[in-house]
Amino acid sequence: MKDETLAALTGLCAKCGTCRTVCTLYPERKAEIAVARGKVALLEAAMNGEDPDADSVQEALTDCLLCGRCERACPNQVLVEEIVMKGRADLAEEVGIPAWKSILFGKVMASPGATAAARKAAAAGERLLLPKVPTGSGLHYRFPEGLGGKGRTVPELPARGFLESLGRKEAASGEVMLFVGCVFDHVFPQVGRAAYETVKASGKSVAVFRDAACCGLPAMVSGDRRSAMACAEGNLRRLRSAEPATIVFPCGSCLLMFRRNLLSLVPQGVPLHEDALWVADRSTDYASFLLASGVVGRLPDPPAGEKAGEIGYHDPCHLSGTLGKGPEAREVLRRAAGDAFAEMEGADRCCGYGGTFNVRDYRTSARIGEGKVSLAARGGTKVISTACSGCVLQMRDMAARVDPSLRVVHIAELVAQALARGEGTAPRR
Amino acid sequence: MDPKALAALGELLGDRLRTSLETRICYSYDATGKRFLPDAVAHPVDAEEVRRIVLLANQHRFPVVPRGAGSGFSGGSLPVHGGVVLSTERMDRIVAIDTENLYAVVEPGVVTETLKEEARRRGLFYPPDPASLKFSTIGGNIAECSGGMCAVKYGVTRDYVLGLEAVLGTGELVRTGVATVKGVVGYDLTRMLVGSEGTLGIVTRATLRLVPLPETAATMLALFSGNREAARAVNAVVAARVTPSAMELMDRTAIDCVLAVVPIPLPEGTGSALLLEVDGPAPSVARDAERLAEVCRSCGAIEVRVASDARGREELWKMRRSISPGLRRLAPVKMNEDIVVPRSRLADMFDFLAGLSARKRVRIVNFGHAGDGNIHVNVMTSGTDADETRRAEEAVEEVFRKTVEVGGTISGEHGIGIAKAPFLEMEVGPLGVSVMKRLKECFDPNGILNPGKIFLSEAAVRP
Repeated sequence: MKDETLAALTGLCAKCGTCRTVCTLYPERKAEIAVARGKVALLEAAMNGEDPDADSVQEALTDCLLCGRCERACPNQVLVEEIVMKGRADLAEEVGIPAWKSILFGKVMASPGATAAARKAAAAGERLLLPKVPTGSGLHYRFPEGLGGKGRTVPELPARGFLESLGRKEAASGEVMLFVGCVFDHVFPQVGRAAYETVKASGKSVAVFRDAACCGLPAMVSGDRRSAMACAEGNLRRLRSAEPATIVFPCGSCLLMFRRNLLSLVPQGVPLHEDALWVADRSTDYASFLLASGVVGRLPDPPAGEKAGEIGYHDPCHLSGTLGKGPEAREVLRRAAGDAFAEMEGADRCCGYGGTFNVRDYRTSARIGEGKVSLAARGGTKVISTACSGCVLQMRDMAARVDPSLRVVHIAELVAQALARGEGTAPRR
Repeated sequence: MDPKALAALGELLGDRLRTSLETRICYSYDATGKRFLPDAVAHPVDAEEVRRIVLLANQHRFPVVPRGAGSGFSGGSLPVHGGVVLSTERMDRIVAIDTENLYAVVEPGVVTETLKEEARRRGLFYPPDPASLKFSTIGGNIAECSGGMCAVKYGVTRDYVLGLEAVLGTGELVRTGVATVKGVVGYDLTRMLVGSEGTLGIVTRATLRLVPLPETAATMLALFSGNREAARAVNAVVAARVTPSAMELMDRTAIDCVLAVVPIPLPEGTGSALLLEVDGPAPSVARDAERLAEVCRSCGAIEVRVASDARGREELWKMRRSISPGLRRLAPVKMNEDIVVPRSRLADMFDFLAGLSARKRVRIVNFGHAGDGNIHVNVMTSGTDADETRRAEEAVEEVFRKTVEVGGTISGEHGIGIAKAPFLEMEVGPLGVSVMKRLKECFDPNGILNPGKIFLSEAAVRP
């Protein structure tokens, strides 16, 4: 394995061990191979011709939540997320991408039509095959313990996605473009709807990005550069030609892809780089947009004293950690929910989702997630709000395991409720 | 390694013995940046497993190298002769904290900060604070006798180890020391094991002394025009009969290094900085802080900043904490030495280091725990220029010679490991080395434990 860019990045690691203190996975594994220092050493060995088994190195790199804590704690500012993603991609050229991943990322998620068809099939499947689990956040279905699903619950998939529910007359371009993301379109269309309505409350001309492919993050973090490119190319070209002044992302992970990761997927010298820069410059998180556009300032006063401290905020690793957008959501919540919002125990602890990590090692993912959610519940939180699709998926599943009365929502749903209150209508559930 | 030995270990440990190249790579390094591949990695969960690993090692003659977090700066946990790296990561329980008799019983894999935090929650204090305290382990701290910033007032790891349980090189499990304040029953085997770098025994449990948690603290940053003034202040502070809980000195090279990372406004002509902390009951902290600020001013401080709230204190500490990230920006390779000189010779030592840097044409960044005379001398190199590396190595040797000459010691808190093995005799003399080797013989006759450390000539395990 040869990669000079990667070697320059790994070369900065002094093997001091600071990453051991913050790694989400280390307490689970208690082995050096779990932490950044071990993964860097493995990649260095692979590049120095020590010939560690490529499949095993890939396996080690895959055993990471990409929560980014090590990178932020590193005294030498080693870019661990970049190293892990680059390493996975380099190794994928040697060991290949599992077929299910390349089909899912490259064929299904890169095509809006195929994604909708896949959702319809899955919706029919879960209704036919899986037992129902009612939860505070709506109906879920549970995979039986023995059938590979390990007791996982999945949300009831809607008959229509958010984008499908939009009339043809709704604007296709505008000053503000809303990038809903796959999950808030196909799995939780109510979040897509809430984000759309509340962003529109800015009074600006708002369009929803209709022909969106997946942001490409799942493909990129799996080392599947080709599928990530398939997603990125169409998205970047169509966003550029629509010429919005601002692109708003309700999902922190999609935002990370557009703000940061795409710039390394299409680095300087690649024709798309300039488009990626253009889009990155205009991309913003949902809460920041709501603050900057004055929506939050115009929200009616929250009802005082009611359900004080019941709503918490979970910091998505990508949004609060990597992108540093933690205070903004809280400011939105203080205005939208008033006293009902309070800091919850362990707000900045990783939920343990990690995208494909959750698929490959559900038990570990669930142990981390259950720890997170039970801590919040014990502290008196009844509603966990957040701003990332992966975190919503994971924490709803964890709530179903720990305390089904616990609700997990996107902050946009709470803002929509506050707006509705102002209009004198009944709050939306 | 003999396949029969690996098979026996596998039978003992199951999947807690790893022999894959990938795992071995992950236990081949420490913070020195040097690498040696072990033949296997063992993760025992209790003293009995440690004992049986060492017994197998005697039977099959393979080295056993204990390892905590692998954060040492002297190579103590590197498997230089291969063999089995024995990781204490799964022996990480705090067994007890006795709030009546003020001690804690812990397994070796407990992270130092975890113990400090658990003690703090009970109003107690485990003082040793190596810079790596958030990830280094108690076992590693004991093996290297780690120090830290508060050593000037509270001492080092050695001063908090009351008793140990350890597996000797023979595979015997020995219990040493006491769980009381006093104790003088025979030879002090506890002190023998502390700082022995895993060459005499593998600590499987430690009884550690705790003290009451200080009520509050105040921090001061005093800026001086040069090291002479700052060093004079260090001695004046001691003469003023106030014992600060930290007294850190940063010379101009370290200040430049900090400024490369964070913009901290400093008055014109700042050539040296002293960071002081006092702790204790609130009234005495206020009085001591005032007295120390006065002492610094009378020694010619250009400016003295005092903070007693958490935020202000953190702001002052930022300067000290930014040195390490700054070092990396200067040059990729650092030779990180931790000499100690008598406090009264600090100024001379800083002068010597400045001259040496010019003479050898290598960048040397100096900072450290001036209150106890411990200076971290960082000789910075690119790592790609052979001539520069040679000059740096010569500089390090000169630093050690000078240190011994002024009555200091070549390692305050990192240990000898492999990094300083060539200089051991320079300080302790041939008889000192000989006595140490005779002791080693007694604890570990077959040379099983951490071979190749401390002693330059130490060969691999005896056949």
